[in-house]
Amino acid sequence: MLRVDHDFRAMGGPGRLRLEVTGRAQADAAIAAALAEVGRLERKYSRYLEDSVTTRINRAAGADPVSIDAETAGLLDYADTVWRESDGLFDLTSGVLRRAWDFSADRLPAQADIDALLPLVDWQAVERDAQTVRLARPGMEIDLGGVVKEYAADAAAAQLRDAGVAAALVDLAGDMVAVGTPADRPGWPVGIRHPAQRQQAIAALELPPGALASSGDYERCITVDGRRYGHVLDPRSGWPVRGLVAVSVLAPQCMVAGSAATVALLKGAQGIAWLDALGLPWLAVDDDLQCHGTLARA
Amino acid sequence: MSARNGNGERHTTLLALTSSAMLLPAYQGAQADAPPEYTELGLRYSKYKEDDIPGRKSFGSGSERYDIDVAQFHLLAPVADSWSVALDVAWEDMSGASPWFVGESADGDPRVIMSGASIEDTRTEVSVNTRYYYDRGNAGLSYTNSDEDDYQSDAVSLDGAFNSADGMRTYAAAISASWDDIEPTQGAVPTNTLQDDKDIRSAWIGVSQIVSKRAIVRFGLSYTYRDGFLTDPYKNRDSRPDERKEWTASAGYRHFFQQQDAALHVDYRYFDDDWDVVSHTLDLSWHQNVNDQLQLIPFLRYYSQDEAEFFDVVADTSQRYYADDYRLSAFGAFTYGLRLRRELGNWSLNLAGERYKSDESWGLYSGDEAPGLVDYWRYSLGVDYVFR
Repeated sequence: MLRVDHDFRAMGGPGRLRLEVTGRAQADAAIAAALAEVGRLERKYSRYLEDSVTTRINRAAGADPVSIDAETAGLLDYADTVWRESDGLFDLTSGVLRRAWDFSADRLPAQADIDALLPLVDWQAVERDAQTVRLARPGMEIDLGGVVKEYAADAAAAQLRDAGVAAALVDLAGDMVAVGTPADRPGWPVGIRHPAQRQQAIAALELPPGALASSGDYERCITVDGRRYGHVLDPRSGWPVRGLVAVSVLAPQCMVAGSAATVALLKGAQGIAWLDALGLPWLAVDDDLQCHGTLARA
Repeated sequence: MSARNGNGERHTTLLALTSSAMLLPAYQGAQADAPPEYTELGLRYSKYKEDDIPGRKSFGSGSERYDIDVAQFHLLAPVADSWSVALDVAWEDMSGASPWFVGESADGDPRVIMSGASIEDTRTEVSVNTRYYYDRGNAGLSYTNSDEDDYQSDAVSLDGAFNSADGMRTYAAAISASWDDIEPTQGAVPTNTLQDDKDIRSAWIGVSQIVSKRAIVRFGLSYTYRDGFLTDPYKNRDSRPDERKEWTASAGYRHFFQQQDAALHVDYRYFDDDWDVVSHTLDLSWHQNVNDQLQLIPFLRYYSQDEAEFFDVVADTSQRYYADDYRLSAFGAFTYGLRLRRELGNWSLNLAGERYKSDESWGLYSGDEAPGLVDYWRYSLGVDYVFR
């Protein structure tokens, strides 16, 4: 049994593939297939690339419907499901609020700037069918980043499986998918980073086949008059949510784990009860850096 | 989305997210056709019991009809990366009487003369199947041998399924052939042949399509050609053509209801053949998940057929072809029942019970009522075990 680690960068963050394979040739083929899949999804949905699906949709806001393929329609359908299940908190159109918030300067935006952007945050103004999508108002944008990274982790794991790899761990900047288990352990040893002290693990676990996704970036915030403003924005008010600073969830699919973590974060203090009811293993860190959840250290 | 209790929310939210995610290509790929991961073993016992034929429909004081006990063994095992093999064995023990012919009573009513309670038969069926799984589908090859005192059959079939690139559509096709030898048991009643044979050739094509997050439709067409001795060897007044061509068209719809955590299956089948038999079958079933371990499936089937061109309640033996077999008459039938599936770790328990009742007046086609029309009960009990 050969263990192969491969580090790479994708989707704006560090990635790692850990494989247990029978030979180097199998590892090379599997890694190539997984990286090609991540690259394909990054090019297809990046909002920074001129010819991406996301750019084409955003550029046509207020104009004609844009043709989309089944995969894009599926991702939008999925985002719609998350939007409904989160009572409208998870909204792919909320990215425009970044135009008002500058998290590199310790300065709050003017309320008027936020108010001007709020009409553009409206998932229900995304007109969709199986073949096309249209953003109803000029200036609207969608950002599929909120689902594509986790989807890419699942898709990379599927490529490894298809290549015959029986045991592997995909790590896309903290979103992880385990294929099988290592030969000598019940799961893949992974750590959940402490939101404030990044070198320290807040929880360590052996990830069984399935996925772990985390949401929340404690350091990406601004502090004004001693008050912390995180980068996760409530699509209704345009202001940062309060209550939780980091959430991690375990699920069979990374995409489901990621959405659950994000929705909990958006729900603020009520996210704890929501996660409790969801039925998946979870860990949440609140504003006071207290840990909650089934994965929290006793 | 408001005013739901914790349990309801947990169930529907997770289910909604997961079922929506699973439609995406990456998960379709991950679920590419693969052999079963573990070896599965199953045992099943079924009892089929026909109601007695009442005295007013038969000569004599009424009679018991067929009673069949069936024991089944099933083994499915993965072999290598992309193959599986399956072995199925069934033993049937049949006893009782069947309609011999229909005569007229003194007041002109058609009444059945039964064969007498002397028919005893056992049947053993062995079927082996091997299946190959590839990226976009699977293909199987089966051989089945059936052996009973008066009947031998060898059959082979080949089938394949192919999934579209987006995993939303599956095309499937199958062909099969069987070679049957008939050697009726002598003694109970005079038989229509001492030894004969028949061949059956069949082909089927189908397509299924995922139409939404919660719905699947499927369509199928089949053709069956029977050639040889198609007359019932034990029926006194039975002479049938030695060829039969059958066509069927079928359609099905499955819809998953998220709130109820249940699925509705609706299936329809149209049958037509060159003996002028036409039939319609409508199946409704409700697959209710009660919890993670228990599934309840109530079902209802309606069946209606038109009679064969050479059928008469009292067979007209002056014709080239004639039959009084109730199975070739015009009638309608309802089947209703309940299946239960309970999972217990690596074990699962299956229970089923159903009632079948038929009547000429329930059918869509008019015809004279065959006095031999049957009603029956069927029960089964099975356990499956997965070696994981």
